Amino acid sequence: MDCHRYENWGTRREFLSRTGLGLGAAALSQLMGGFSASAAGGLPGLPHFAPKAKRVIYLFQSGGPPHLELFDPKPLLSERFDEELPASVRGTQRITGMVSAQGKLALQPSKYAFQRCGQSGQWLSDLLPHTQKIADELCVVRSMHTDAINHDPAITLLQTGSQQPGRPSIGAWLDYGLGSVNENLPSYMVMCSVPSKGPPDQGLLSRLWGSGFLPSRHQGVQLRGTNDPVLYLNDAPGISRERRRLMLDGLAELNGIQHAASGDPEVEARIAQYEMAFRMQASVPDLADLSKEPQETWDLYGEAARQPGSFARHCLLARRMAERGVGFIQLYHRGWDVHGGLTDRLPVLCGDVDQPAAALVTDLKRRGLLDDTLVIFGGEFGRTCYAQGGANREKYGRDHHGRCFSLWMAGGGIKPGTSHGLTDDFGFNIVQDPVHVHDLHATLLHQLGIDHERLTYRFQGRQFRLTDVHGKVVKALIS
Amino acid sequence: MRFFPIVGALWLAGAAVCPAGSPVRFNRDIRPILSENCFHCHGQDAARRKADLRLDTFEGATAMLEDGPALVPGKPENSALLQRMTSHDPDEQMPPPESNRKVTPAQVALVRQWIAEGAAYEKHWAFVPPVWGALPPAAAWDRQPWDAWIRSRLERDGLAPSPEATPEAWLRRASFDLTGFAPTPAALDGFTGDVIARGESAYRDAVERLLASPRYGERMTAEWLDAARYADTHGFNNDSMRSMWRWRDWVIDAFNHNLPYNQFITRQLAGDLLPEPALEDRIATGFGRNHVINSEGGIIDEEYRVEYVADRVRTLGMTWLGLTMECSRCHDHKYDPVTAKDYYQLYAFFNQVPEWGEDGRLANASPLIPAPTGVQQAELALLNQQIASAAQALPEASTAGRPLAEVLAFLSRAVSVQPDPAGAGFRVERKDGKLINGAKPEESSGLDQKVTDHPALGPVFAFPAAAWTVAPSQFEAGSHKAWTWQTSLRWRGGEGVLLSNMAWQIPVSSVSHGNGFEIRINAAGAVEVRMAQKWPAYAIQLETTTALRPDRWHQIAVVNHGTGTAAGLRVYVDGVESDVVVHHDGLSGPVGPRALSVGRKEGPEPEAYEGDFAGFQVWPAVLPADDLARMADRQLVRLIGASGGMPEALVQLDRVQSAFLRYQDSTREAVQALRVAQARRLELKRKFPSVMVMAEMAKPRPTHVLLRGNYDALGEPVTPGVPESLLGAWPPGAPRNRLGLAQWLTQPGHPLTARVVVNRFWQQIFGIGLVKTAEDFGFQSEYPAHPELLDWLARDFIDGGWNVKDLMRSIVLSATYRQDSSIAPGLLTRDPENRLLGRGPRFRLPAEMIRDHALAVSGLLRERLGGPSVFPDQPEDLYKGVVVDADYPGTKWLTSTGDDLYRRSLYTFWKRTVPHPVMNVFDTPDREFGCVRRSRTNTPLQALTLMNEPALMRAAGHLGQRIQAEGGGTDAARLAWGFRLTTGRLPTPREAEVLAKVQNQLRASYQADSAGAEAMLKSGGVSAAAGQAGESAVWTALASNLLNLDETITKN
Repeated sequence: MDCHRYENWGTRREFLSRTGLGLGAAALSQLMGGFSASAAGGLPGLPHFAPKAKRVIYLFQSGGPPHLELFDPKPLLSERFDEELPASVRGTQRITGMVSAQGKLALQPSKYAFQRCGQSGQWLSDLLPHTQKIADELCVVRSMHTDAINHDPAITLLQTGSQQPGRPSIGAWLDYGLGSVNENLPSYMVMCSVPSKGPPDQGLLSRLWGSGFLPSRHQGVQLRGTNDPVLYLNDAPGISRERRRLMLDGLAELNGIQHAASGDPEVEARIAQYEMAFRMQASVPDLADLSKEPQETWDLYGEAARQPGSFARHCLLARRMAERGVGFIQLYHRGWDVHGGLTDRLPVLCGDVDQPAAALVTDLKRRGLLDDTLVIFGGEFGRTCYAQGGANREKYGRDHHGRCFSLWMAGGGIKPGTSHGLTDDFGFNIVQDPVHVHDLHATLLHQLGIDHERLTYRFQGRQFRLTDVHGKVVKALIS
Repeated sequence: MRFFPIVGALWLAGAAVCPAGSPVRFNRDIRPILSENCFHCHGQDAARRKADLRLDTFEGATAMLEDGPALVPGKPENSALLQRMTSHDPDEQMPPPESNRKVTPAQVALVRQWIAEGAAYEKHWAFVPPVWGALPPAAAWDRQPWDAWIRSRLERDGLAPSPEATPEAWLRRASFDLTGFAPTPAALDGFTGDVIARGESAYRDAVERLLASPRYGERMTAEWLDAARYADTHGFNNDSMRSMWRWRDWVIDAFNHNLPYNQFITRQLAGDLLPEPALEDRIATGFGRNHVINSEGGIIDEEYRVEYVADRVRTLGMTWLGLTMECSRCHDHKYDPVTAKDYYQLYAFFNQVPEWGEDGRLANASPLIPAPTGVQQAELALLNQQIASAAQALPEASTAGRPLAEVLAFLSRAVSVQPDPAGAGFRVERKDGKLINGAKPEESSGLDQKVTDHPALGPVFAFPAAAWTVAPSQFEAGSHKAWTWQTSLRWRGGEGVLLSNMAWQIPVSSVSHGNGFEIRINAAGAVEVRMAQKWPAYAIQLETTTALRPDRWHQIAVVNHGTGTAAGLRVYVDGVESDVVVHHDGLSGPVGPRALSVGRKEGPEPEAYEGDFAGFQVWPAVLPADDLARMADRQLVRLIGASGGMPEALVQLDRVQSAFLRYQDSTREAVQALRVAQARRLELKRKFPSVMVMAEMAKPRPTHVLLRGNYDALGEPVTPGVPESLLGAWPPGAPRNRLGLAQWLTQPGHPLTARVVVNRFWQQIFGIGLVKTAEDFGFQSEYPAHPELLDWLARDFIDGGWNVKDLMRSIVLSATYRQDSSIAPGLLTRDPENRLLGRGPRFRLPAEMIRDHALAVSGLLRERLGGPSVFPDQPEDLYKGVVVDADYPGTKWLTSTGDDLYRRSLYTFWKRTVPHPVMNVFDTPDREFGCVRRSRTNTPLQALTLMNEPALMRAAGHLGQRIQAEGGGTDAARLAWGFRLTTGRLPTPREAEVLAKVQNQLRASYQADSAGAEAMLKSGGVSAAAGQAGESAVWTALASNLLNLDETITKN
């Protein structure tokens, strides 16, 4: 019970007295946590220690972005173009069914050049010119690894800590543990976008922002790129704002009578949820209303941000959510599963995400929000150093690769302007400082003031946690 | 459900309810403490056991260790267990600080008392078969014998039962519980009157009516679908459509017919293994196939096949055993006495299904069967009858007594009236001593086969022989092209390949392993057609029920309509279309034409055909059945003619006779009637829905312990078995397969099955089980709130023949159930979850009932039992940006029309990765795995949904109209009528006042805004007479409010 964290108690008390209901404040807040009408919520004793970050923006690149084209330059691949991947390097790696029939695993260099960027001298691809400019804000992790080699299990592992469905997503764990700081918006919001051109291929799964075995109120709320940004948010034509108020007042009065008669605190909670819904009907359009954004916003994020449903738009909205205290902001951009047509598709995908992602970091920084906002950019695995199909200097593709991949983080107490981890000269194996998906989760939770071993939920006779029985905080990433 | 412990609440297990001075009981008081805090390192998992100490057995706990025994019965102070628990030294303290586990002082006190009292261990309560306990003394309040337990427990805690609910409240509650719908106002009136007139009998009769309603089966099924992880899509990221609704309808039927629950278990687990299983028994086994199936390209097949088997074990554990079996998949169970070996022995039962890891991209995965509906079965029976009588109407041997020459002369006249159909693209002919394509002589390459000339059939090719390939330009054997292939053939027996262009990429998991087209003949003489993008998963596979005979000339034809489905393929044997068995119908995309090998198959396992071919022809079109029949007859006439009459005629006498009947004037019509009926039967069969089922492999698949649960880390081999020492011996004589497993599960002495099942039905009614952890009855489960009651109900269930309707009847007529559900002051803090049942059940309706209730009261509901799932309204762009970018079935929501927009929610199409939002927002699970306990939350998204979801708005519109039309003459009467329709009771004066006030406010608002009123009507999907728009808008808004009332969506 965290009534003391409730910052805006007045409004609801006013409402309650207006409708003539004598509601027990304690009972009310007790019933509502996380994403609910109550601000705060969450578990007693959390955060476990002083957090560095108050919120997370996860820019998920779905499909497996190729680390060798974006973050992890490997000149050796060019020298040994079209040679067979040495067996000693390949080791026991499982090969997916898609290339297992290929006669040869031919080494494939990146077509795209890299630059050392900023004062930190981080290597970043020319495909990401805007990201290059914020190199000094980034911590690039080149030693991520995962257990899965196919999309569904890999993305499920990254988003829920388990390859198999059924576990809560990262955001659901946070909502369960930390609750919400905004009584007008959900604390966990999700936005999905597809490439501006070309196939979006792999689908997403609502389990990625689901609550698994946690109560379903902890699941993420999808903000949609339509004029009904949250499902059924808009009142039906014919119900004006005033009429809705009038209807809700009547409803609350009748529910209040029922509460008095039944003694059931769920009725009180229901009344409060209707009030939250009413507030969301104002707060969500306010969040999504970009008409007052100045020209410099559009200059920063790019004109694509004017397009509803675009990744750029979502980055801008993510900043607005961060400003409003949304705790976990999850973006997905699809289309990175570039098996055969990597060279055709990469320029499009990078064009979609590079500028807005960099803009978001810049924007958060200038608004003083970057320090306590953790931004993560990356996918579910990397791609092979050998070509799918034949090796070719100009046109080629790459298959899935889980042994190593790259992502970047910014803000939220993560060391800026650093690189972490090292892969071998083939970009196939990690040779230094591996970071498993569980370690990423442990670190993410740590930045939010959570000991990943102590955020647990009992289900089917045992305590579950996001990191299962694994994970260690990667101290080297933390500033 | 409440998720925050409430300070001062009474707790059921442990100190708070252990009456002062009474002895501690191991099962109730101690095991939960040890299990949670100690067993993880000192339990039965030997691999993880620390300090050689196990505390889960008396022997282990009292064993002499280096520092003395952990447990000294009668001597708490000498017991290291207690010393460690109370120590403040981080090195000594148990559980260790880093474990994040902690023992409370109250728990320490209990342990101390337990040791002092002798530290007796008990076998875990749930592993001891349930027994009839001695009932507490009866009292007037009781309506069922078992009510005594509820009452006496309340008394012990100084509580009293709540007063009885009003008849109306009881009827509404029981109607929701037994049928999923509220009673109509007329039913409420009738019942109230009946209670006054006939008292208790009125209750009993009402229950009988509810149990007899077909809605009962639907309502019970809704719960089971969660447990059985039913869905209309396969899950994973492709999440395409599957067809399992025939299984769902089987469940509805089973509940409606009150199939004894032991049979309910047996048929779903092993219906296929019953002696002479009926179609329905095989459909029931779809239960074992409801799991998710992955069709992502490139996955490792075995990895996922193993997942499916594991899912069956998990589901069995959750639904019937009440054990978290999956914990033992990677290691011995940390808490329960279930080893990894136990797990894989159980796994072995489910490891015998002829299935693949990657399947189900486009349709049902193998194994599957056609599953005609009741109506179709009736149609089929009728057609069978017609065919039988039409066949009977034919004279048996109309050629008898006629000279063969006359018969042949007649036939040869008859078959030569029309020439062979033109337009053949390929036809083998012999010209100038060379073989050519008679249709296109310029394309004659590849025909360098050794041949002999047959006087009737022309060039005959003998096989096995060297390669003969047919170029794609000559035979476009593509899956999505129309073509007809016909040939004469004389087969010499054995399995053989007639035509094939299958390409076999290595390894087997390759995406194009087995890509192409193949026609084969199997050892029994059936003709089999295969078309595959990736054999065998993404393929069509069918075979004829008609068998060829060896060493006899036949004429066969395969016709492809180019639909890419099994229904588009026809196989004719001797001019008659054969019935086929479809083994798989999941071709995932077009298979293009490629050069065909005749009489052989290339690839890793080459095969050949032994026999002859002749008259090989291909048409790039679908040939009519009549043409194919005539050509077959012509082949027959020529064969007989060439053989000099008698020998071939004797061999083919059956064909001669049926041909004669077909062309003779006096019988032609009767034959035609028979053929039409036969064609209709085939057409009907092609429309049968399919359902995935369980089946056993011909050759059993060996099962191994999988180390750490990994599919490729084989440990010791195991055979099918159950944890007998824990849960009871294998029934004598039971087969070691799923059927035996079902017999073991349902034997009367099984400690878990009946308890778990009864507890779940109890949970369905009271919102929380007697054992709260409905899925787990193991050491980590909660000790039951009323253990004797649970045993009593379980015993009664078993001894009464596993009768579910009896159980439901017993519950809803009990005094416990009939209590008022309002929460008396003080009770909320004493017993917030109503575990002691000092009041009736009260909680929000499940998602399905919320929508169904709104549809019912508005009059929109359209009831029809069973059938394919339907697509009610859902936001058009819901899948946008989320669903896979491929045109698989199930990736687009094709909104239903007409009645199907308003069917019961049970029938709403269930897409696992993006469930219907109305269902999802009200806490339905996604069904990627089974779930026996839904969460019950209260969120603003629910409010928004009830306020604005278009179908619910239309329900409001129609409800408003209905109230105006049926609710009486005055506003007050109408408001009261509408309120009663949705809540089941009349409003109090205070409530009526509020309703009237809001009505007046809305009137004022809409009167001043005619455009708003019109818009409101449109939102409600209704219209109004001239000048009435404002008034109808008011009623729409009021009706929407009624549908949003907490009481409307609450079972109370």
